[in-house]
Amino acid sequence: MIDTFHAKRPVYPLFGFFAALLIFAAGLATAKHVEGMWYLLAVWVWFLLFGYWRSCLIIIPCAAVVAGIFAGITYLSSRELGATLAAVSRSAAVCLAVLPGLSLPAVKLTRNLSQIHVPRSVTLGMMIVLSFAPLLGKEIKRIREAMRTRGAGSLLNPKVLYRALLVPFAARLVNISDTLSLSVETRGFRTGKVPYTIYHPVKLTMRDVIFLLGLVAGSAAIIVLCFI
Amino acid sequence: MNAVEMKNVRFAYVKDTWVLRGVNFTAEYGKITLLSGMSGDGKSTLLSIICGIIPNMTPGTLEGETVVAGNDVRGMKASEISRTVGCVLQNAELQIVQNIVEDEVAFGCENLAMPQEMIEKRVKAACAMMEIDPSLKTRTLSGGQKQRLITAATLAMGQKIIILDEPLANLDKEGTHTLMTALRRLTARGYCVIVSEHRLDMVLPFVDDVWNISEGVVRKVEDKQAYLRSQAEIIRDICSPPQEKIPLLTLTGITKSFGKREILRGVDLTVYKGERLLILGQNGCGKTTLMRIIARLERQDGGKIEQFIDKKPGSRRASRRWFREVGVVYQNPNYQLFMPTVRKEIEFGAESKEYADEIIDMFDLHSLETRHPQSLSEGQKRRVSIAAVVASRPKILLLDEPTVGQDYAGLQRLVDVLGKIHMRDNNTMITVTHDLRPAQALCDRAVLIEGGKAAKEGDKNLVQTYFTK
Repeated sequence: MIDTFHAKRPVYPLFGFFAALLIFAAGLATAKHVEGMWYLLAVWVWFLLFGYWRSCLIIIPCAAVVAGIFAGITYLSSRELGATLAAVSRSAAVCLAVLPGLSLPAVKLTRNLSQIHVPRSVTLGMMIVLSFAPLLGKEIKRIREAMRTRGAGSLLNPKVLYRALLVPFAARLVNISDTLSLSVETRGFRTGKVPYTIYHPVKLTMRDVIFLLGLVAGSAAIIVLCFI
Repeated sequence: MNAVEMKNVRFAYVKDTWVLRGVNFTAEYGKITLLSGMSGDGKSTLLSIICGIIPNMTPGTLEGETVVAGNDVRGMKASEISRTVGCVLQNAELQIVQNIVEDEVAFGCENLAMPQEMIEKRVKAACAMMEIDPSLKTRTLSGGQKQRLITAATLAMGQKIIILDEPLANLDKEGTHTLMTALRRLTARGYCVIVSEHRLDMVLPFVDDVWNISEGVVRKVEDKQAYLRSQAEIIRDICSPPQEKIPLLTLTGITKSFGKREILRGVDLTVYKGERLLILGQNGCGKTTLMRIIARLERQDGGKIEQFIDKKPGSRRASRRWFREVGVVYQNPNYQLFMPTVRKEIEFGAESKEYADEIIDMFDLHSLETRHPQSLSEGQKRRVSIAAVVASRPKILLLDEPTVGQDYAGLQRLVDVLGKIHMRDNNTMITVTHDLRPAQALCDRAVLIEGGKAAKEGDKNLVQTYFTK
């Protein structure tokens, strides 16, 4: 949900979530088979074809690090190449499953959930939480900068860490959440069964159907190939 | 006809400590009503009662009667009141919910269940009115642009009563003029607009009624012009420009982009020792970015900086030694305050307790000494953050919008103190401000950032021309 990962035309949000579950399940199930790796590679290419190139490229180093760590631990504990490759597959499956969610702007997800009548208190809360993540990173960066400008000392010193980072950070969090809730309330947000409009509802297109059908077909094929 | 009427309203955040002591206040449809007063005197409290934030979300003891659009708001939720009252709160940055400007402006309209076509029209109209591009990402906006965005989001909702709490904070003169003209147009169509603002020189020409709040009581100001003269006079400069021109920093061809947005496109600028440089420019033109690059908090994409401040500048990251020489006052004071009391905050950077006492005295912080810095009003926080940075006696002082949230008396005092410290320490000051009143008193030389470059350089006359053209 971080801006850098956003796809220009993400698939229908609910399809994206279903796709994530499918990749996760099929990836884990076929992790011990060499075909499983080909399946994950095909999924990666499938995402590329549907315009997820940015997140597809960014995920490679992340997946390499995660897979490296788990493969290393597995190899050290089992000394088996097969188990190590399975660990790599599982890590790659998890990273790929995260991809549709990462590439989706929060507003599309919340609008989609609102369309299927998920309570607005849930969807709005979700949106605020999702937009909080990049905001928190920025806040920590700013506070650390401010600490440096005022010569607050090293973060390795617990007293400094508490006083100059944690206290302002907590104060900022309270301030942000208070102001956000005021902002939402004073802009007419109400919970319960009240009428509201969804500006730009998310529409299901043939492209989304093709994406999901392709993924379902691929997942079914790999399960058949590995187990039947 | 009265849109808002308050009768004998009293309010206390803490039991028996009355912030408002029997307020009788009215605001009419078809008029812009200004609420003016000192920092921390209760302007935001009064507005929060009208919006329903008090007592619904901020608890306290509330007495008296508040009638908004003919309804007694007692017992009404803030979201119910918001159907008739549009509210632009302070701290625009923290109120943004969505990632894209268009979605943010549409958010309130969605909550009011407007038809899609109407939302689209209103979003377009509000964005055009506040001159903000609906396709921009909200997190990449400058402070002034965020203020415009939140104002546009409220105006799009179309309530007949609009409340704006310090809407001009961080707005440049064009933005201010745009907003005030838009509000004037709305009142001509029968809207009631209530504004709380310190920059009286900018708002008074547009307002119909003026109320002053002091010691918890509001009074209507009868002689608007006399009030303007007493609150909006240009502050006199007590310093003289440096005699010598010894370069301290030389910036050559500085460029900086954020994503695809090119902010600085080759800034050439020399800062001389002991001068007070004022950076002028519209919202989003890159003033803060330039300050951050000078402070070594941000790295430029291209260009070269030659500095004569620190002989051993070290690696890419600025060292602690650097920040002992270069004091940075942030646009947002909340980041820089971390000690448990105002006194400790000042003492933290001060060379001695005696000097901390002197600074507390100069900035008139005695009454706030034992308060937690985060519990202060925004204007008070800003004063404390400036005092805390100044207490460490930096040779270069970078001030990003230091006057926001200051009442006129506070503003005069602040500028006077900065001037006295400048004369005594012969420090170099670089200031960004959108406020005309203190601008000339903070300036020996001014530079105008336009089109990503230092487009013009000049003395106080440039400041005068920039603000009055």
